[in-house]
Amino acid sequence: MIVCSSCKHANMDGAMFCAECGAQLVGKDSFTTQTISDDKFRDSKVSTGDLYQSFDGGEAWGSLHLLDTGQVLPLSSGNEFTIGRISEGQPIMPDIDLSPYKAYAAGVSRLHAVIKRDGARLIFMDLGSANGTYINGKKLSPNVEQNLNNGDIIALGKMKIQILLEDK
Amino acid sequence: MSSSKPDYYAILGVFRDASQEEIKRAYFEAAQRLHPDKNVAAGETELFLETQQAYEVLSNPKRRSMYDATLPPDVEGNTVIKHEVFFSRPNLVKLGEPQLIYVLLEVGPREEKTTIPSPPLNICLVLDRSTSMQGEKLDIVKATAIQLLRSLRPEDVLSMVAFSDRAEVIIPASIKLDKKMQEGRIQMMQASGATEIYTGLEAGLKEIRRTLDPSRVNHVILLTDGQTYGDEQACLKLAEEAAAQNVGITGMGIGHEWNDIFLDALASKTGGSSAYISKPKDIEHLLVEKFKALISTYADEVLLEFTEQENVKINYAFRLQPEGGSVEIEMPMHLGPILRDAPLQVLFEFLVSPGALGDDDIATLLSGTLKTSITARPTPVPPIRLHLTRAVQQNPSADPPPTRILSALARLTLYRMQERAREAADAGQFDTAVRHLKNLATHLLSQGEHSLAKTALFEAENLEKMHAWSAGGNKDIKYSTRALLLSGVKEKAG
Repeated sequence: MIVCSSCKHANMDGAMFCAECGAQLVGKDSFTTQTISDDKFRDSKVSTGDLYQSFDGGEAWGSLHLLDTGQVLPLSSGNEFTIGRISEGQPIMPDIDLSPYKAYAAGVSRLHAVIKRDGARLIFMDLGSANGTYINGKKLSPNVEQNLNNGDIIALGKMKIQILLEDK
Repeated sequence: MSSSKPDYYAILGVFRDASQEEIKRAYFEAAQRLHPDKNVAAGETELFLETQQAYEVLSNPKRRSMYDATLPPDVEGNTVIKHEVFFSRPNLVKLGEPQLIYVLLEVGPREEKTTIPSPPLNICLVLDRSTSMQGEKLDIVKATAIQLLRSLRPEDVLSMVAFSDRAEVIIPASIKLDKKMQEGRIQMMQASGATEIYTGLEAGLKEIRRTLDPSRVNHVILLTDGQTYGDEQACLKLAEEAAAQNVGITGMGIGHEWNDIFLDALASKTGGSSAYISKPKDIEHLLVEKFKALISTYADEVLLEFTEQENVKINYAFRLQPEGGSVEIEMPMHLGPILRDAPLQVLFEFLVSPGALGDDDIATLLSGTLKTSITARPTPVPPIRLHLTRAVQQNPSADPPPTRILSALARLTLYRMQERAREAADAGQFDTAVRHLKNLATHLLSQGEHSLAKTALFEAENLEKMHAWSAGGNKDIKYSTRALLLSGVKEKAG
């Protein structure tokens, strides 16, 4: 089952476009279409495999919905992810690289935050970022764990991300 | 092993493991086509003799096995037609629920620049001349028909039938006709009566059959502006007969009173599709374009014979190129023609139920044969085996889907959204239809199709308030989203 990120319609595995609203469900970034007018997508290359893992997997337990661009990054095969952006000569890489989504301009730090799953609980923590992390508009103190719920909106600097949890 | 020995299998157009029944059938088909009483082209008598010789050897099991022993090992591969298959994902996943997989099939000439001459035409224009055609529509149709008549090459045949509730042959099918006199007859056409497509179609096919010839492009162009009542089933049956004789049908509808679903169904029986003419002045342009396409035909039609796989269903098949249109799921499937500059592209959606995954590591989606008849080629084209399988694995692959499939589906999704809106509206679920149209508009906007997005929004409003489409609204959206599909393919190719 693939749940559409924009209308929550449950699509069959292997579907590539939502049967209800027509939103693209897979491989959004590998596809440099003639249709997207904004140049920011055209040059971006996604280095992580994360993007595609959801497309026939029942494994994703949640996803990050990037509100500015509409992309959905699935979270699967792991319980803990660091979020940030990859830049040259960086010793420690984040698990989820947001650099293709204008993360630098939005003020995302290289190692900005960590998201982890502990049983049914979802925990979020700022890693001492330069521009701060917010949950539903409330600023977090660095290195303090905070609970997350489905639908919460987190902000890494200016980049807003909605947390979507799969119902299991 | 002498290489000069003729390949009897290729001559008959069968596989090397063909059964006696298949060999017999192929021989009868070839014999009918090439019989000395009928053939006119130079060299066909020799071909006929070769066919006979091939049959004599292959129909006799003893002689066949002796002949087989002299053959070089079978090399799979077709020297005339090439085909490519793209899958939306490299493997299926072991799942307890149904899953989808998409397949894009492309069939085209093996050689890019083919030296085969452009085939002669055998075309019948079947024109609606019911009362509603009176005025500008009929005037343009007449002018265009005369223009087409003048542009014919000496080897082409163009016949014309005008119909209302009865049919009249305006120009009979014949090889050498007096064009001046025919032009006069076209000019004299008058509008009157009601629309009965069956009578027109029947008379048109009769004209086509007079000069029916497999080495020609045999095609009926049906132009109408009205609905036909009660004879739809009979028309569809005629179309099936036409398809069996390799006669194609194109439907063209003018204005918004005609039944696009019916015309599409009629044309798709023969691998063709319908076109929408919103304004009379587009009649000329569309007809001339259609003629150009027919002249550049490389193969009339590609047939897909297949056996249904258990627990695998073809949800739909849609031709993206050369002419966008739904392909009916029947046996055999009429996929459509191949043009010189536009290979045939068909996209399939397969629904795979858990039962198909079994204990094997491989699941078969479709097993079949592609058959092509190339118009300007007297000898049969060897068939192509099509065996679509996918590995079954525990985990999904991380590979992104091929861009070609993704971009084709992106556009097809728009077309299908309008289809869903229409289905919902037909079923009286206007809220759902409105939602689909609004979604469609959003996608169209994001793709820069502003005017079409506006049309969709306008229709959404109409449906919301009046619970009805505006005049021509659903056709506008249908044919424009279908045209987007083609423009996408062309951009890619260019």
